Amino acid sequence: MKNESHLKKVLNAGHFAVTAECGPPKGAETSVIRKKAKFLKGFVDSVNVTDNQTGVVRLSSLASCVLLKKEGLDPVLQMVTRDRNRIALQSDVLGASVLGIRNILCLSGDHQSFGNQPQAKGVFDIDSIQFIQVVRQMRDQGKILGGEQLSEPPHLFIGAVANPFADPFAYRVVRLAKKVHAGAEFVQTQCIYNLNRFKEWMKGVMDRGLDKKVYILGGITPLKSVRMAEYMGKNVAGMDVPEEIITRLKGVPPKDQRQEGIKIAVETIRALKEIEGVHGIHIMAIEWEDVVPQLVEEAGLHPRPEV
Amino acid sequence: MITAERKPLPEIKEMIQPFRKILVVGCGSCVAECASGGEKEVGVLSSALRMDAKMAGQEKEIEELTLDRQCVYQFIDQLTNRIDQYDAILSLGCGAGVQAVAEVFPESVILPALNTTFIGETKEAGFWVENCRACGDCKLAFFAAVCPVTRCAKGLFNGPCGGSKEGKCEVDQESPCAWQLIVERLDKSGRIDQLNEVYPPADWSRQQGKGPRKIHREDQNI
Amino acid sequence: MDQKSAGLKLSIFFCQQIDANQDAHRRALEKELGSKISFFPLPCSGRIEPLHLLRSLEGGTDKVYLLACAEGSCRYQEGNIRARKRLSYAQTLIEEIGLEARRLELINMVSGNSKTIEEIVRELLAREADVEPSPLRT
Repeated sequence: MKNESHLKKVLNAGHFAVTAECGPPKGAETSVIRKKAKFLKGFVDSVNVTDNQTGVVRLSSLASCVLLKKEGLDPVLQMVTRDRNRIALQSDVLGASVLGIRNILCLSGDHQSFGNQPQAKGVFDIDSIQFIQVVRQMRDQGKILGGEQLSEPPHLFIGAVANPFADPFAYRVVRLAKKVHAGAEFVQTQCIYNLNRFKEWMKGVMDRGLDKKVYILGGITPLKSVRMAEYMGKNVAGMDVPEEIITRLKGVPPKDQRQEGIKIAVETIRALKEIEGVHGIHIMAIEWEDVVPQLVEEAGLHPRPEV
Repeated sequence: MITAERKPLPEIKEMIQPFRKILVVGCGSCVAECASGGEKEVGVLSSALRMDAKMAGQEKEIEELTLDRQCVYQFIDQLTNRIDQYDAILSLGCGAGVQAVAEVFPESVILPALNTTFIGETKEAGFWVENCRACGDCKLAFFAAVCPVTRCAKGLFNGPCGGSKEGKCEVDQESPCAWQLIVERLDKSGRIDQLNEVYPPADWSRQQGKGPRKIHREDQNI
Repeated sequence: MDQKSAGLKLSIFFCQQIDANQDAHRRALEKELGSKISFFPLPCSGRIEPLHLLRSLEGGTDKVYLLACAEGSCRYQEGNIRARKRLSYAQTLIEEIGLEARRLELINMVSGNSKTIEEIVRELLAREADVEPSPLRT
C-alpha cells in the first residue's frame, strides 16, 4: 500500500503519540493552512483538520488535508455526518484515500443551529457510529453499504471521538466499547482538565480491556484566561473544568494567565503520560496553533520519533 | 395529533385582501385540540377580521363554518351547496385539510390560515410537543418508546452525543436529551444490552418516498 | 370626563358569586342606561371566552369589563386565574387589529366584597373614561 498512516506507525511502534488540531480559514486561500503547518511540523505525528466545526462554513477539511500533505504532514480528515448523506460520505472516503490521506475521524458534528447557516438542513443520514462501521467495511471488505463491491478499497486508519465527561457519565465507557465494536482504531477525547474524573473513566475502560483494543489519545486544550475557563465550564456541554483550575488562574494577574494556562496543560500532559492505557495526546489549540511546539517541548515530547 | 399555529394576522390579511366574501372553515379534530383551528378559533379570527375590515373601510363579508374533519370527503361535502357564493375559503385546517378541500373544489380559492407544524402529544393544557416524524418504519421497540428520529436533535441511532448537559439537549436546553431517556429507561427495564449492537442506518426512503406517500387498502374500498 | 357622561357603551361580564341577588340589583342601571349597558352573568369568571369579548367589541361596545372574585377566593379555585389568562389573550388579539388593550379590563373584587353589582358598576361609571368611542360603532 502506498504510504501508510504515520500516526498508525507511531502508535503501533508503542510510542506516546502527539496529534494536534488545525482550524481552516473562512476563505478560498491556502496561506493559513500553510502557516499553521509550519508551526506544527516536527512537533506532532499527525494533524486533524476540523470539518465545518460548529456549523460554520470554512475551507473544507478534505482540501485542507491535501494542503497539509503537500507540506509533509500526516493529516487526519475529520468528517461529520451532519452535512453529507451516505452517498457523499462514502464517495468522499474514496476521494480522501486516493488523495493520499490515511487517517479519518468519524463524528456526527455540531448541530447546524450553532453556526452561521442555521437554516441549513442537517442531514444526519447516518450517525458517527454507523459511519465508523461503514468505513471499516469499505476498507476491510471492499464493500459499500448494501454490499456492492468496490474496485479498490480505501486505505484509512479509523478514529472516533470519546467524551469521558459527558452525560450520562455511567454510560460513557459502554459508548466507547460500542465505537470499538463498530471498528474504531483510535479515539481522541474531549479536552481534559479533571484528571480524577478522567482516571475514573480510564479505570472503566481498562476493566473492559478496551485499552488493548483501541488507541486512546487524551485531549488537551491550553486555557488562555480565567474567562475562557469559566466560559468553557459553564457553556460547553461535556466539559468539566474543576474549581481548582479556575482558582489557580484567578490567582495570577491577567497578563500571566496564558502562561499559567500553558503550565496547566503541560502538567496535564505529563500526568497523562503516566496513566496506563493512555497512548498519546491530542492538542486542540484552535486559533493558538503556535503554542503547540512549546507544549510539546515542555512536556518532554520533542523530538518526535522516527518510524 | 397534528398541531398547527395560526399564521400572523398581517399574513392572513394580505392573503384575503383581494376577496370580498369569505367563508372561514375550521376543523373539529386535531387543530381544535391544539386550539388553533376549531370552532372557537374560527369565531375569534372571523370576528377580528370583520372588525379589522370595518375599521379600514373595507367591504368584507366573513362567514363561519366548522367541519368535523376537514380531510375527509364526507365532511367536505357540506360545502358543496354553498361554496360558489364565496370569493375565497379561508381554511383553518391543517395542510391536509386545506388541500383535501382544494381537491374537491379545484376551481375555488382555498387559503391556509394556519402553519401546520408537527405530530405530537398534549403534554399539559396549552403545551404540545413533537414526538413523531412519520418515518414510516417505527423503531420505538428498540429505543424504549423514545423516538430518536424526532426527539434527538441529530437523529442519532447510536447516541448519545457528547453534548447533553444535566439531561438536557445541547441544542435546546428545554428539551430532555432523548438518549439520556433511552439509556435510563432501557436500563430500568433490564434491556440496556440492546444498545451493545450498532443500530444500522435507517431506510429513509420510507420517510422521503418518491413524492407523496400513499396507502392503498382494497378491503376498505367498498 | 367620567364614563357615564361620555356616553360610553359598556359590557359587564361578571361572576355571579359577586352578588347573589344580581338579577334584581342590575335592573335600575339597565333602565337608566338602556342600550349603553349590557350585563352578562357567568357562573364563574373562568367561563369567559375570548370569543365573547371579541363579539362584544364587534357589536359596538366601547369597553368590556370582566368582574372576577379576589384572587384566592374563587369558588372553583382557579376560575379567576383562567379569566385573567383568557382576557390577556383576547387583548393580544385585539391589539393585532389596532384596538387598544384597555378596551378589555379585568377587575378583581376585594376579598369579602359586600357591594352589590349596582354599587360596583356605578363606581366604574364614575371613573374617568380611558377610551374613545369605538371605531366599530355603526
